[in-house]
Amino acid sequence: MKKTLFILMLLMAMALVSCKKPVQSGDLTVNINYSVNGKPLITDSLCYQNEAGNEFMITEIQWFISKMELQNEQDEWVELEPRIFYIDTNIPESQILRIASIPVGKYKTLRFTFGLDEAYNQTGLFSNPPESNMFWPDPLGGGYHYMKLNGKYRNENEELAPLNIHLGIGQNTDQSEFYHNYFNVELPISLTIAENTENQLNMFMIIDNWFRNPNLYDFDEFGSAIMQNQTAQQLLKENGKDVFSTIQHSGNQNNITMKNDKTLKRFNNFMHQAAPKPHFWTWENVKRTVESIKDNLKQQS
Amino acid sequence: MRRLIRILPLFLLCLFACKPEQEKPYQPTAYVLPQPLYFPSLTNIPADNPMTEEGVALGRKLFYDARLSGRDGTDGIRNCASCHHQGNNFDFGGSAGLHHSVMPLVNLAWNTTGLGWNGGVTTLEDMVLAAVTSPVEINADTNQVVRYLQKTDDYPELFYKAFGSHEITFINIERAIAQFVRSLVSADSKFDRYLRGEEQLTQDELEGYLLFVTENGADCFHCHGGGSNALMTTNLYYNNGLDDEFNDPEDRSAITGSHWDRGAYKAPTLRNIAVSSPYMHDGRFTTLDEVIDFYSDSVKNSLTISPLMHHVMQGGVQLTNEEKAQLKAFLNTLTDETFLNNPNYSDPNH
Repeated sequence: MKKTLFILMLLMAMALVSCKKPVQSGDLTVNINYSVNGKPLITDSLCYQNEAGNEFMITEIQWFISKMELQNEQDEWVELEPRIFYIDTNIPESQILRIASIPVGKYKTLRFTFGLDEAYNQTGLFSNPPESNMFWPDPLGGGYHYMKLNGKYRNENEELAPLNIHLGIGQNTDQSEFYHNYFNVELPISLTIAENTENQLNMFMIIDNWFRNPNLYDFDEFGSAIMQNQTAQQLLKENGKDVFSTIQHSGNQNNITMKNDKTLKRFNNFMHQAAPKPHFWTWENVKRTVESIKDNLKQQS
Repeated sequence: MRRLIRILPLFLLCLFACKPEQEKPYQPTAYVLPQPLYFPSLTNIPADNPMTEEGVALGRKLFYDARLSGRDGTDGIRNCASCHHQGNNFDFGGSAGLHHSVMPLVNLAWNTTGLGWNGGVTTLEDMVLAAVTSPVEINADTNQVVRYLQKTDDYPELFYKAFGSHEITFINIERAIAQFVRSLVSADSKFDRYLRGEEQLTQDELEGYLLFVTENGADCFHCHGGGSNALMTTNLYYNNGLDDEFNDPEDRSAITGSHWDRGAYKAPTLRNIAVSSPYMHDGRFTTLDEVIDFYSDSVKNSLTISPLMHHVMQGGVQLTNEEKAQLKAFLNTLTDETFLNNPNYSDPNH
């Protein structure tokens, strides 16, 4: 009798479990935006100035964000998948982070790692481009660039010089010690994930903040080739804490006066030239020629 | 009557025996492309042209056959191998008299960013058509090529084995040659063996590698890979500071229409670079020493120079003579004798 009762109870318990309502979930899209001096980034345009007074332009930004998590009102953290996103201003679709199956509810904090931590930042993690093109050489610590921000700036001699904010593992002078320069970011949010709804969140990289708080970052000193300069890496790591936001901030340098000299004139003249025209010997022309020959032959036969 | 019944089976047997041999069914064997260490897993193999043993073998035969010109070849050698020599990393090994120097055909199965110096051709199949019809290359008429090959004794059967039809089409010619080119894999240089832990580099070679992958050294790796990018190229396009005025109508800007691509060309792989002379898109340098001297001291600034040319304001990376020799020693470790002498890549017609 006891045995029968036990089996009955077990079956009832199983039935209860199987009838439990599945966790409701929704999807989230995080849109990545960039701003400089309070305005949306325009690439390849010599129209920005940093706190140190360097005029600059940005060609591209390529970076990793990882370990995104949301905190709900019960203070529980929900891990978002995938755990790593590669974001590239040259690849528009990479600027939209699509995250599926987040439990419905209200969330108050977003946290993530800028770059890749020790667990992820391993040489060989990515075999395919574009991620594999971010590799950070093993003699310099290995793994991948956290970020490549490339552009040009006007140097002390009024020439346009390369600007390369390349962040990753730093080293001491004889490369016997390595420093992980990734950092974690926590942002307050007010996000409700509803079922079967395309939930949206905007995130901004406030580019000028890389170069001003708490450290004044001068391109004439650290504008280029900083992969082996832990001092520059550390300054940027410290400045990076307030680079990210879910709110668009107005910049504090709305009235920039760019030097209107021959460098700027040369730049503007270049930009206003007619777009380059393809030469006759291009693939499209070859294909057209071949097609017309084929058509002629068909007509003749 | 009984006799007739006895003879009938024999007669039928004879009939059966005399029936022409049935054609072998079309059953190509899948070609397994190797996956070398630190190579991408992503390839450019199109869904409608999977690699097969038969397709690669046919492509190899066509690659080396002067009849690809649609003529008998007595009017001069005109095939892919005319300009792509195995011993020279499947490039010309000198000036071919073309607008741009001939690019090597190596590890192209993993190139997903366009072909040629400006990337104007997007697939290897298209590249075959471009090369066969180009007035400055094979200069053939595709219909004539098809007609000529169709009349040969050997090709219809080889096309059947590769593509299931005796009827030759130019599309299948493109596919076969593209398959062969994708099979050209270089992954056994001394540097590969070093990466696999099979062989040690000399001290000079190691110092050269350190220069190769450091910004404070020769700063080559952003465009030419190394380490975990064993293709030794990103396959992307850069203005590397060769010039400060740009008049070439066939640079990358001809394809993108962007000002910022003036003077930009594909970063070629450095695999077998020691046997890939001449260097640069216009073949202006004939020795590796000249190339290293250029990157060391003669880089020119311009509005469109790649921001990755970090040391342009100093004219280059400023290497000492010892460092130049070390860098060259490392570059020589990228020579892959297995590839350059691989009998599977040589002319099958001899």
